[in-house]
Amino acid sequence: MPVIVMASPKGGVGKSTCAVLLASEFARMGAQVTVLDCDPNRSLTRWASHGLPKGVTLYSDVGRSEIVPTIRSADGDGKIVIVDLEGVASQMVSRAISQADLVIVPMQATALDAEIGSEALALVKEEEEALGRSIRHSVILTKTSAAMKSRVQKELEGQLRGAGIDMIEPSLVARAAFSEIFAYGGDLTAMMKDPEMVTGGKVDKAVANAQAFTEAVYERLK
Amino acid sequence: MSGSNRLAGLKARPKDTTVEEVRRVDEVGEARGFVDRTPRKKPGRKPSPRTHQLHPKVFPRVGEAIAAEAERLGITQGQLIELLWEHYTSE
Repeated sequence: MPVIVMASPKGGVGKSTCAVLLASEFARMGAQVTVLDCDPNRSLTRWASHGLPKGVTLYSDVGRSEIVPTIRSADGDGKIVIVDLEGVASQMVSRAISQADLVIVPMQATALDAEIGSEALALVKEEEEALGRSIRHSVILTKTSAAMKSRVQKELEGQLRGAGIDMIEPSLVARAAFSEIFAYGGDLTAMMKDPEMVTGGKVDKAVANAQAFTEAVYERLK
Repeated sequence: MSGSNRLAGLKARPKDTTVEEVRRVDEVGEARGFVDRTPRKKPGRKPSPRTHQLHPKVFPRVGEAIAAEAERLGITQGQLIELLWEHYTSE
């Protein structure tokens, strides 16, 4: 089963959010999901400390020397492996990319995110050449506006598409539930059903967005 | 979107993960600034567990006597005080 790697040398772009949403949605579909938390900030471990969705297993504190063997041991029949990496340019990032079936590069619609995120895209291309095999990779825009597409976002999308970069649609909209899932643990569906879980936004819209994002990722893994 | 039968169609591509391949990946990454950022351990010898500072204010004659006895026994002054303390607490 596939290995999905979240990669960007920039922090705060939404790698952990993408990892949590994919892990919980694929688990809801019936997959056994293994999530590797390779980020020293331990965002996924904090999320898991409040409760993991059924079907999700988490490995914390995976380091540079363990990343390849851990991915290999976690990879198996009926399992999806999701790797959340640190937001720096490190050897662990390049090693994880080499094991990926799909590299997802999240970025906000800003020039800075695009510039730093493009380092990860360039690294994927170079690893493809060095290893002699293709590594599928896509960009997902994160924290976008629910109301309208900004001029900067339109320009950035045009530039990335013009460079032949695969863009995942829909983008991940800035939703309070995407941030608050780290405080509550579990998944968005549980958050929507539990009246005691208070979020500052519309959870149903967040669920729909996460499901459409997971569907788009699924299409790329077939 | 539901049902694990859909997921059964997902396949992983075979990936050789030989030492040689990992080395090549490291080289490609390093050329682009993706270097080893594993935190380094503090260099040097680990501190001894005998690091607690005893109260230094004793009469010089007591200090000299402890030093002389420790030298005669071939142990440190701290080890001698540990022996004395053991003797004291066992009574």
